[in-house]
Amino acid sequence: MAAPALDRSAPPAPGPLRPFHFPDVERLTLSNGVPLWVAPVHHFPVVTWSVLLEAGGMHEPAERAGVAALTAELLESGAGERSAAELAEQIEGLGVELHSTATWDMAHGGITALRARVEPAIEILADLVRRPTFPDDEVERLRAERLAEILQRRAEPRALAGEMAARFLFSPGSPYARPLAGTPESVAALARPEVVSFHARRFAAGAAFVVAGDLRPQEARALAERHFGDWQVEPAPPPALRVEPRSRVREVVLIDRPGSVQSELRVGHVGVARSTPDYFPLVVMNTVLGGAFSSRLNLNLREQKGYTYGVHSGFAMRRAPGPFVVSTAVQTEVTAPAVAEIVRELAGMRAEPVSPAELTDARTYVAGAFPLRLQTTDGLASRLSELIVYGLPADYFADYRERILAVEAADVLRAAREHLRPEELTIVVVGDSRQVRGPLQALGLGPVTVYDKEGNPL
Amino acid sequence: MQIPIERFTLPNGLRVVLSEDHASPVVAVNLWYNVGSRNERPGRTGFAHLFEHMMFQGSQHVPDTEHIAHIERVGGAMNGSTWLDRTNYYETVPAHQLELALWLEADRMGFLLPAMTQEKLDNQRSVVQNERRQRVDNQPYGDWDERLQALVFPPEHPYHHSVIGSMEDLDAATLDDVAAFFRTYYAPNNAVLTVCGSFQPAEARRLVERYFGEFPAGPPVPSLPGTPQVPERLGGEVRVEVEAEVALPRVYLAFRIPPYGDERFYAADIAAHLLAAGKASRLYRRLVRERQVAQDVVAYAFPIVTGASMLVLWATVRPGVAVQAVDDALGEELRRLGTEGPTPLEMERARTEIEAHHVFALQQVGQRADHLSLFTTFFDEPERINTELDRYRAVRGDDVRAFAAHFLTPENRVVLTYLPRAERAEAA
Repeated sequence: MAAPALDRSAPPAPGPLRPFHFPDVERLTLSNGVPLWVAPVHHFPVVTWSVLLEAGGMHEPAERAGVAALTAELLESGAGERSAAELAEQIEGLGVELHSTATWDMAHGGITALRARVEPAIEILADLVRRPTFPDDEVERLRAERLAEILQRRAEPRALAGEMAARFLFSPGSPYARPLAGTPESVAALARPEVVSFHARRFAAGAAFVVAGDLRPQEARALAERHFGDWQVEPAPPPALRVEPRSRVREVVLIDRPGSVQSELRVGHVGVARSTPDYFPLVVMNTVLGGAFSSRLNLNLREQKGYTYGVHSGFAMRRAPGPFVVSTAVQTEVTAPAVAEIVRELAGMRAEPVSPAELTDARTYVAGAFPLRLQTTDGLASRLSELIVYGLPADYFADYRERILAVEAADVLRAAREHLRPEELTIVVVGDSRQVRGPLQALGLGPVTVYDKEGNPL
Repeated sequence: MQIPIERFTLPNGLRVVLSEDHASPVVAVNLWYNVGSRNERPGRTGFAHLFEHMMFQGSQHVPDTEHIAHIERVGGAMNGSTWLDRTNYYETVPAHQLELALWLEADRMGFLLPAMTQEKLDNQRSVVQNERRQRVDNQPYGDWDERLQALVFPPEHPYHHSVIGSMEDLDAATLDDVAAFFRTYYAPNNAVLTVCGSFQPAEARRLVERYFGEFPAGPPVPSLPGTPQVPERLGGEVRVEVEAEVALPRVYLAFRIPPYGDERFYAADIAAHLLAAGKASRLYRRLVRERQVAQDVVAYAFPIVTGASMLVLWATVRPGVAVQAVDDALGEELRRLGTEGPTPLEMERARTEIEAHHVFALQQVGQRADHLSLFTTFFDEPERINTELDRYRAVRGDDVRAFAAHFLTPENRVVLTYLPRAERAEAA
């Protein structure tokens, strides 16, 4: 007997919704006053433990650009009684993933370890953060490596476009105008004394721990007290940053890279800080614009026109306003039409409300995707870090999904009109000037100026 | 830690693996088709990957761009990828949307061709050509794997050409090729479907049978084009120098090694690990930290199964250092591994790290599902997700030494060196 053919014409109805709860966050304070926020999750025998320090790029003086990044990296080069080689052997011998990096907002040191090996890993982490030795030869080596890396990044179109976007979006006095890794000049001038002094000043000026995974809050507290209990940390508010746009006039910055078969585009302007009251409308607005595969920009530039492998937009929200940028790489021949389409899509977001379908899809995308990144202990720990770095309440994520789902079309339109400024765009193009300059000028979007790969006018 | 596994095969040959876990309210659906660039015929390099793009262009009941839109609007994450041996498609969605994901995957397995048009093919050809420009042609060192594959595997071997393929062959692809490729390779008997996450197994099985059960089995899959069997080793050294838009010289070494699945492959993986994974590794310690001749080092054994595989190792040369110094230092370290072998401590470290990273990765249902599909596609043995580490534990230090002595030698290697174009001009 043949079964009737299955009706496949419409998507099946969803099953019953499973509840999702952001893990409870336990806020503890160590005897030395340092906060310890713990999210216990026991599905896997894995723990991520991070220490956050007021020692990011925002804390370094302009003439020492790159010192925060170099200091964070150098923690692994020797600490307490351990040499660089011993540290590496012990960390890797425990099967621990260690990271030690600086962002603009903070320095982060952290480990992900199997539960059974957490204590020896924390003991090493305490050495790294509290007792780094910064051996001369390691400072010299890493400084030279970072200088060489700067050269390499300038040969790589994506990295070059990112560096130039920062330089040309922000005024020269704004910290975000420079690369977090520093400039060739500033890195060349760094030596052991600068690193030692940055560590001495910044690594005792405000710190916090976040722990996610297979550890109970009281276990975490006991571990922290054993290895960090006598650590003297003076809380200090983060410095206020002055961040200004380089210009409020739309212009094209063309970085000449002869022979390029594609142009890297970075189209944007100064955006907003993480503290913006428009956070939720902006997340939804950006999802419609260029934050998902099914966004307006990607459907237009990739799925309709075939100009690119992909295009993305985003607000880098930091303690101070970071860049808003549309990023893509397009075939050289279509550089000018691609730029025109991007500018048109930005104007379109401001012209009229998003459609009911776009609004619903964007909201459910963001709300539904939220738990996916919380499957791992690192994913969860980075959300906890966000709470601390941006001063958000401990229960902030409990109703995150509801707040996204409450955004209305009018909120999105208001956010777009307030925070997208198509007349003030800096349009950075890294490509073959001989081929793209004329068509870019013909667009009439603004003056086109050609620069070399160091950003000097040609 | 034991990953639960339930498996069955539909009458049409579709192999199905279920792995239940209620840690998060999410579920991963993962499909591997046993077809990759190795199956491409001459003149159609890059086609398996172009075809993968066409799988996202809608099917009979799913309009144009709606496949991805359906996943995104429920908050799912999805993608696909093409490699030498296989093509995979995967999505992680909220658990209550499992049926939607199965409906979408079934529609493109059963009803792709009615939705194919010349316009979609031309559009995705252009997207893929831009992918090639972005990843290969406009990227420093971007063609390294294409060059190494062509040198490690002879022209008649299915791995001789790259996954991305040539611009010319991409230009030549037609709608007829799409139809023929679909009918040949995208049948249930050439696929593995894994569902991992929060679901009830009986319900999942019912849904899989409902959506995939009625598809007929396809014809037997044709044997691979060319000759997968090659001599175990290259039998000589090949040296190639390339001048390119790079800031620093880089030396790539590639060795022909036994394929993934061969027990010597596990020794190869451990060798790659103790040579260059992490700052305690031999090459990092010697070349980067102590002698400071290299900026970075990487080593990687390709987990590929067709006749042979390759182990690739590279080092970027520090400014002001002679390329020859790095070349020599790499050779010296490999020789030393082949004569002295690893220390017991190095072996212990490599095994501990491999074990820990296995557990870290498996926290995500998508990763778990992908591993289960892999072990089923290549070895018909999903249980390997729980036993694969035993294969690493079984490797002795002397196995690694013997592997290095036999395979990581000058007579079995390709040396590909990139030199900065500008530096040459200035030096002249």
